[in-house]
Amino acid sequence: MSRLFRLIFLFVPRESLSVGGWIIVGLALSSSIAVLSWPIPQREGLEFWLFSKGHAELYQVKTDQWNAQRDPDVHISLLSNESLQQRMLASFLSDTPAADVIEVERNFVPQAFTGPIKDVGFIDLTDRLKEEGIYDQLNGPSFAPWTSRGRIFGLPHDVHPMMLAYRADLFEAAGIDLTQVQTWDEFAEAVRPLVGDRNGDGITDYVISMWTGGGFRDQLEALLLQAGGALFDEAERMQINTELNARVLATLASWMVGPDRIAVDAPEFDPQGNQMRLDGRVLVALMPDWLGGVWEMDMPALSGKIKLMPLPAWEPGGRRTSVWGGTMLGIPKTTEDFDSAWTFAKHLYLSEELAEGLYRKHYIISPVKAFWDRSFYDEPVEFFGGQPVGRLYIDLAPQVPLRTSSPFNTYAKDRVANALYLLKEYANENQKYKPEELMDEAHRLLKSSEDLVTRQVERNVFLRSEP
Amino acid sequence: MASTPKKKMKPGTVVMYVVLYTALIFCALVTLVPFAYLFCASLKPSAIFFDNLFLPTGDGLFGIGWEKMNFDHYKRLFSEEGFLRPILNSTFYASVTGVLATLFAATSGYALAKFQFRGRDGITKLVLAALVVPGALLFAPVYQMLYWFGMLDSYTGLIIPALAPAFGVYLFRQATVNSVPNEMLESARIDGCGEIMIFFTFVLPLIRPMMGAFLLLTFLGCWNNFIGAQIVLQTPEKMPLAVAINQLRGVYGTDYGLIMAGTVVSIVPVLALFLLLQKEFLSGLTAGAVKG
Repeated sequence: MSRLFRLIFLFVPRESLSVGGWIIVGLALSSSIAVLSWPIPQREGLEFWLFSKGHAELYQVKTDQWNAQRDPDVHISLLSNESLQQRMLASFLSDTPAADVIEVERNFVPQAFTGPIKDVGFIDLTDRLKEEGIYDQLNGPSFAPWTSRGRIFGLPHDVHPMMLAYRADLFEAAGIDLTQVQTWDEFAEAVRPLVGDRNGDGITDYVISMWTGGGFRDQLEALLLQAGGALFDEAERMQINTELNARVLATLASWMVGPDRIAVDAPEFDPQGNQMRLDGRVLVALMPDWLGGVWEMDMPALSGKIKLMPLPAWEPGGRRTSVWGGTMLGIPKTTEDFDSAWTFAKHLYLSEELAEGLYRKHYIISPVKAFWDRSFYDEPVEFFGGQPVGRLYIDLAPQVPLRTSSPFNTYAKDRVANALYLLKEYANENQKYKPEELMDEAHRLLKSSEDLVTRQVERNVFLRSEP
Repeated sequence: MASTPKKKMKPGTVVMYVVLYTALIFCALVTLVPFAYLFCASLKPSAIFFDNLFLPTGDGLFGIGWEKMNFDHYKRLFSEEGFLRPILNSTFYASVTGVLATLFAATSGYALAKFQFRGRDGITKLVLAALVVPGALLFAPVYQMLYWFGMLDSYTGLIIPALAPAFGVYLFRQATVNSVPNEMLESARIDGCGEIMIFFTFVLPLIRPMMGAFLLLTFLGCWNNFIGAQIVLQTPEKMPLAVAINQLRGVYGTDYGLIMAGTVVSIVPVLALFLLLQKEFLSGLTAGAVKG
């Protein structure tokens, strides 16, 4: 190394760089030598991109089985969600090879659907799914987020039904039986006595985690879907300013401000939100199946204190669940070996072993209906007070609402979440706290959101509505 | 030997200094709080991670549960997560790109500043125009070009596009215009010095502050480069530290302590480097700020 530097100093005077600069030059030389002398094994076969470390750990077992028994080998590459999206879209837009199999999250897939249907970067699986009978084997609503203009571009990974999680210990101590609650109105009525300074710190404690921050847009969509509203219909036509949506917004705003306030900001995946849950400063949360595993890992101290119940309905006899999140397995058109990629996709997603692994590790239930009677779904779960969590979610799975795959849905969700924020401010300023008092303003704000989204949609010649 | 009498400060000046230093110390503490949190969090086991904001309470010195803390997250980083390879990769990308980009930007900036050739003004304007193109717009075209050149999933695919940044070229052009007198270059040429020797022997020492600042900026930029590496690279063994840390995040759950430990590991080398280069960094950034 010193000889090398002597050679460099023949051309570059020492005073050209400071000590720090020369250290970086030294790092460049030594790290180059180290990289060259640390070989990387060459990999051939199918490339499989995914974004979830938890999934990758589970899939590795099935992939190892595949690699031991079949050709070609499959190699898993774990990417961050954002990077997977960037790399996938860069590949689709530039018509360059991506992986042979890609697992994508629901919020990112629709961006692949912005162009003409023939130019979608994923292979259309519709006919194959139907011919092989897979379409009927899986839970119907699970296909919706991966369906664009009637064609299916992905194999669904999950169902993700939603329930209500509540602090059973604190509700029981307060003598409130939440399981008797049937509707959201009854829920608000039942939990209101718990609003107050519960821990004596001089700060009012509320009940349900629900606020207008960025992370709330998915929960808001779930509540709109549960009510029977949505931002786009099944044919991807916009339907933002509707009576149902306005009612949901007005009700939520009435929970967030005024004398009857019950909601508080306790964000998920956030240390402060978790601390509020641990301290009992928030007692209720919307919980899709996958969130149970997150809570169990992040807040083991809540074990045995949480219970699940179906979501209260918006109307008596109405839908008692909704949906949040989702993942699919897609096969890009650039793959050179579709048959192997498709066989591997089925080997993975239609596997009972994987279904059990996903449930045991994350409480995620499989979309394969044939597995729903398996006994592992009936086992009591200690974290949830001994409830058979899998069975509770499976009972609700057929009721999961259909979702749109519109590429404008994320933007629309943001606009509607913003409308809720403005409605909350309006309620505060005008001291109007009853949902019926807020309906006109809710419609006005939804109309404004709809106009903004319409402007975006109209720019896309492939998806805009016919005049 | 008679000692020089110390000049006494006026009471108003003393008060001003006390207020000023109190404010500065307060600001410094506020800046350091996230780092303190980061380090404390990296030592807490997952089971007690959310129990206390900084250190866990207990019966130890200062009421802290010292026995509850350990270096398990750091051990896991290197034993289970294989962090040695990402550290090497990051060091390689950041230092090689930093050195080469500084060299190329300095030579091109020097050429644009001191040589007369056809199209010089056009190239300068092109460099200026390139400054306003957002990086995100270039993902797809760069990806396609790397594919055509067979550079996807290679070290060169990550390094070569970063070798002549428009910002650096223009920065060195300005530095050369301001710091290198034409008379000196002409004298060197009259004395028979070759152009390459002139650049390395006369020009580089004169633009040294800018070299240090730009080298550090490029090193830091590459060290923290996350999206670029994620898009271009595919083989896990080639991923840099920023990507490796991000992959500790789970969709269905996150081991926060492990991420905090990974973040500490990633900031310590650049912090040390910044301390070594801070003088040049600041003088480079302020070069030309005062009219000479």
